[in-house]
Amino acid sequence: MSARRPVRKGAPLRKPVAGTPGWVMPAAVVAGIAVVIAAFWVIHWYTTPLAPPPPPTQSETQVVLETITSLPASEFDSVGQGSANNLIKPVSGTRLVGSTGKPEVFYLGAEYCPYCAAERWPLIIALSRFGTFSGLETTTSSSTDIFPNTVTFTFRNAKYASQYIDFVSVETLDRDQKTLQSPTAAEQQLVTKYDTSGSIPFIDFANQYASTGATYSPDTIGGMSWRAVADALKQPDSTQAKAIVGSANLITAAICKATGDQPATVCSSATIQNLEKTLK
Amino acid sequence: MSRLQLSALLVSLAGIAVSAYLTVLHYAGVIPGCPVTGPINCEAVLSSSYAVIGGTAVPTSAAGIVWFGVSALLWTRPAGRAHLVWSGVGLATVLYLVFIEIVRLGVICLWCTATHVLVVAIVLIALASRPATNTARE
Repeated sequence: MSARRPVRKGAPLRKPVAGTPGWVMPAAVVAGIAVVIAAFWVIHWYTTPLAPPPPPTQSETQVVLETITSLPASEFDSVGQGSANNLIKPVSGTRLVGSTGKPEVFYLGAEYCPYCAAERWPLIIALSRFGTFSGLETTTSSSTDIFPNTVTFTFRNAKYASQYIDFVSVETLDRDQKTLQSPTAAEQQLVTKYDTSGSIPFIDFANQYASTGATYSPDTIGGMSWRAVADALKQPDSTQAKAIVGSANLITAAICKATGDQPATVCSSATIQNLEKTLK
Repeated sequence: MSRLQLSALLVSLAGIAVSAYLTVLHYAGVIPGCPVTGPINCEAVLSSSYAVIGGTAVPTSAAGIVWFGVSALLWTRPAGRAHLVWSGVGLATVLYLVFIEIVRLGVICLWCTATHVLVVAIVLIALASRPATNTARE
């Protein structure tokens, strides 16, 4: 009797070699993805800033404010709308005027809010083309919210003087979400009427236009100091200038619509006139 | 058409639907409904500078439509090397986007995660359907 097995014609000469089971590779991929995602969270945990950057000295703050409120007209013209997202929408209602009878720009925000932190930069730049701020202080958005510690200024003690417009601001909560200021009943009516989503920042341009949210993402200035942002704004090609100066131009166009294109030195530029057309 | 092939095709079509939804909302300037709790925040992700393809105004979700579209076409044919390569491209992109969400933004967008899960599902189907290479004849 032969030890060899009989060989049938047409049959495989050898049984298929048993390889790795089919489920092993997909399972390995799933496990690999889980490990990678866990590693991402570890990296995030290690790289998330826990404390806000040290506040600048008074003289440093002054330098930053002087820089951003005295940008040359060529800078505004060079940037145009830049990368700003136009969130300014026309609204209808009784013309909003301030205590001096001039068109009023009303701002509602909060110090903890990173989107408010982002939007204050272009708002200050735009308003400074129509008047003068005093009492602006540096602050940062919440350390525990999205886009933590976004550098900015607060309007909580700010005063604004202009011969063209009035500016009223309400910072509802501080950066630790403690109550700071409350809107008046009339201001709350504006918010209820025009800010239907309840999002902040909310800006009302004399009841002619209104915007909700930030016109650029706070991560544009993430991790930067006040001075670094101010320096970047002097470069029209910088990401920060395209976002912030572009947003300031949009806000300027909305204010110009409210003031009847006054002052002409600001509102008659081709850049602002073109942006006014986009506001409809 | 095998059961796995049909599954991959259906998953690809679902991916096209979700990506198209996000693309339409992007151009409409609307943020999709999504809870904002803990590390979940669609608005933060979809309004970040990473929500568009670098230097353009084209939303990242538009690239999703293209990827799932090509995937759907591929899965009308039996699994082969092209399916594995295309799945690899998708998986690499998903890992990059998840990196951006977690490390750069620190939050997750549920709608984006839905498309990521669909890509991973297609990757797993491609691996499960890959041609056998471990049998031999004398």
